[in-house]
Amino acid sequence: MSNLIPVLTRRDFVKVGGALVVSASLPSTAKAAAGADAGYTLDATKLVSWLELHADGSIVARTGKTETGTASSAFYAQAVAEELDVDPRKVSIIGGHTDETPDGGYSAGFLGGVNNLKKVAAYTRQALLGLAAERLGVPAAGLTVAGGVVSGGGKSVSYTDLVKGQQLSLAIPVTGRLARIDPKDPIGITDLMGITVTGNPPMKPMDKYTVVGGSHPRPSIADIAMGKAVYSGDVKVPGMLHARMVRPASLGSTLVSAGKLDKVKFPTAEVVVQKNLVAVVSPNEWEAVSAARAVAAVTKWTEWAGLPGSGNLTATLRSAKWEDVGRRGDPAKAEAGLAKAARTLATTYEQPYVRHAPMGAFVATADVKTDGSLTIWSQSSQSQGARAHIAHIMSVPVEKVVIRWAQGPGQYGRTTYGGDGAMADAAILSKLVGKPVRVQWTLSEDLAWSSTSPGWVADVKIGLDDKGNMVAFKSDWYSPHENDARMIGAVLAGMPTISPKTKPFYPAISTVWPYDKVPAVVESAYGMANLASESANGGIRGNIMRTPWQRQQNFALEAAVEEAAAAAKADPIEYRIRHTSDKRLIEILNETSQAAGWKSRPSPSPQAAKSGTTPVRGRGVGVVIRSGAQWVGIAEVEVVPATGVVKVLSFTTGVDVGKVMNPRHLKSNIEGGTVMGLGEALFEEVTFDASKVTSTDWTKYKIPAMGDVPDVKTVFTSRNGRGINGGGEAANTVSANAVAAAFFDATGVQPRRVPLTPAYVKSILKA
Amino acid sequence: MPSYSLTVNGKSHTVNAAADTPLIYVLRNDLNLMATRLGCGMSQCGACAVLADGKEIRSCTTTVSRIGNKKIHTIEGLPGLWAAKSGKALTPEMVHPVQQAWIDEQVPQCGYCQSGMMVAAVDLLDRTPQPTVQQIRNHFTNTAPSPHLCRCGTYTGIMAAVQRASKSIAG
Repeated sequence: MSNLIPVLTRRDFVKVGGALVVSASLPSTAKAAAGADAGYTLDATKLVSWLELHADGSIVARTGKTETGTASSAFYAQAVAEELDVDPRKVSIIGGHTDETPDGGYSAGFLGGVNNLKKVAAYTRQALLGLAAERLGVPAAGLTVAGGVVSGGGKSVSYTDLVKGQQLSLAIPVTGRLARIDPKDPIGITDLMGITVTGNPPMKPMDKYTVVGGSHPRPSIADIAMGKAVYSGDVKVPGMLHARMVRPASLGSTLVSAGKLDKVKFPTAEVVVQKNLVAVVSPNEWEAVSAARAVAAVTKWTEWAGLPGSGNLTATLRSAKWEDVGRRGDPAKAEAGLAKAARTLATTYEQPYVRHAPMGAFVATADVKTDGSLTIWSQSSQSQGARAHIAHIMSVPVEKVVIRWAQGPGQYGRTTYGGDGAMADAAILSKLVGKPVRVQWTLSEDLAWSSTSPGWVADVKIGLDDKGNMVAFKSDWYSPHENDARMIGAVLAGMPTISPKTKPFYPAISTVWPYDKVPAVVESAYGMANLASESANGGIRGNIMRTPWQRQQNFALEAAVEEAAAAAKADPIEYRIRHTSDKRLIEILNETSQAAGWKSRPSPSPQAAKSGTTPVRGRGVGVVIRSGAQWVGIAEVEVVPATGVVKVLSFTTGVDVGKVMNPRHLKSNIEGGTVMGLGEALFEEVTFDASKVTSTDWTKYKIPAMGDVPDVKTVFTSRNGRGINGGGEAANTVSANAVAAAFFDATGVQPRRVPLTPAYVKSILKA
Repeated sequence: MPSYSLTVNGKSHTVNAAADTPLIYVLRNDLNLMATRLGCGMSQCGACAVLADGKEIRSCTTTVSRIGNKKIHTIEGLPGLWAAKSGKALTPEMVHPVQQAWIDEQVPQCGYCQSGMMVAAVDLLDRTPQPTVQQIRNHFTNTAPSPHLCRCGTYTGIMAAVQRASKSIAG
């Protein structure tokens, strides 16, 4: 056997109490075998923590990463099945419970997340081949596996028979550690990636894949369709109370007096208060809802008016004191390029605050025991991070905290740092009342008090040569803090929280530069604190959202390139191709434009009009490179200049992800991401007055309904030799650019802001 | 608290609840039917939709006292509804064609809105067995009291699944 194989120590199993490759083990057995600590974190160096082969041929794989709706659980099963050569339907994934998974990690970017299970499966395969070689008397090199049966020398044995009655301990090499609070870290919590499996076990080459690349169904979908899926809000703990929160009157208000409860009307309800955290609990959920409304009406808060109002956002950002947080490129070279350019374009772009806006508000259930140990049921996409946050908030060792994960409404990034949400509310209340407590936020509460993706402004200068080609590019991007993962319940209750620093922690310039033929480029980013961050309740907390930073910066980049193409009187796709040597980008631009029926000509359209009641049509393109994948979006829109109404008639999204892991679910992710981006293009804006967020229901924070968007046409081809790259996330990035460009094509007027609401459209068409 | 007799998924239940209790809390907390999901709580998103005598209602704003004799069906009861409609015996394996189409098209992403989406689909196909694309779009967008919203943006998948279910029901 290869020396890459890890230690396979049958003699160790007695010592570790029966670690196993094969067993019909229950989680408790696995915990014991995996040497779980007091807080039940599985030992990642033991195979049993990761993988079980059961006697019926089924396989259970465990990871801290969870299903967020992108079908990662299908891909994980496929990857494990591929390395082990078994039927993917035999593989089930347990994700996210901190007491039943070994590695932690966040559930964004499942491409990285799948590597742990892939390697574990590859190590296991090598171990099994070693056993088979011994059993069959055939060297491992002469063995093949199909459907979980090892064959060689005319003989065969199934994995199951191979290890029946045997218990094996296989050491898994790992590095890293679980998420933990770190005051020195810019976001206050570190090691979010968790534990990584190391080494290089022999893995199947991509061109030999038989499972990865197929449209394996996601197992939980049948449960969702049949009404059997358990969501985070469905957890029922014996003796549990329902809670509804009574939030402050404004983002900066503090409590004057909590309202008194009418015990005749609400006999089993109680008001619970800690500092500015006010809640009503009841064994009856509707009583909790009704009583909380009644209490809220008579609860007194201090007045506060420290926000600029969303109508003044741009002016506020323009006059803010900014800190330099990151730069890429050569400023002097870019300035020199601009100085000697035949022509320069100077433009500015902006976008208001937008938000994740899941279909279900935050919910969590907590059970705090008298010894301080606690269990929380949550939909967080970063369970180990959530565990660290909660331990910090409740001032208990992390070993005392268990996070049990259940699927929830899509979070789109807001729980990636383990924070935000109802977990702190639930834990604090459970401790105060001495019973398990389920906290369900309302939609209005969620749209007002959860974290947001901050607004931004950007200045772009482009230098063109005498042929209209880009010779210099300079961008400056300004946006408030976008890493505030604190849980509002802990802030209000005065419990310890992490202290996020002002500056973004991430490489502040997050574009992946597509136009390498532009000789002089500099991109800069500037940060400031959250709006009203000095207020009692932390102001408008910024947080990452699907394709963070890059989504916003790429809008400014692509909108400016669109303007340059128009100045050059070039077809927008031809113009982009002219400035890149990225063959994959050129290929997907060509494939997508062909699928969309794109006809080469400059924008605006010869029929463009900026007045009248006759609808005008236009088409536009947007491009982004993200997580190794090249994306192209092409929109066709119709604009009625007199009313300012923009309708997207068709949308085609193309992507080159290299090898496609699961065509059906890639298609679904592209379609869904595109629709989410169309919300930013057309509707989405968090509004606020001087004291609070005002876009607090679905009529005020509008997201796309079916009739607002066309069916999305997708373009992708699976190609080996280009790696496996990100397909789940970034479709939302191309929508706004393509729609904005199509608007320009239709009207001849460049939009420099999204969303393209009727009011904004009318204002720029009139100008 | 007053007592109410409800017929849910073909079974009779008696529950004690305040008269203004929205049906969703009775379904989830008293009858343990958890597939009906609380979305906005104000009839703006459709996540909580259930069928009352075959027609969609929003269980987050319809109070228990207003249900009366109406027969309620939730997602858990769709197989039984299909058994009755198709004249087949109800078995544990029974799947409503709308549910099967949702599985075949792998529609859900986070899935939170999808119970309501399937209810809307059953309602539509009951009255319009072979809807056009425009009728489907219209049904999910313009039927009172609000559109059915999906933040994951699975509308293209829903469109395909409704068409698939329509074909399947037609046989």
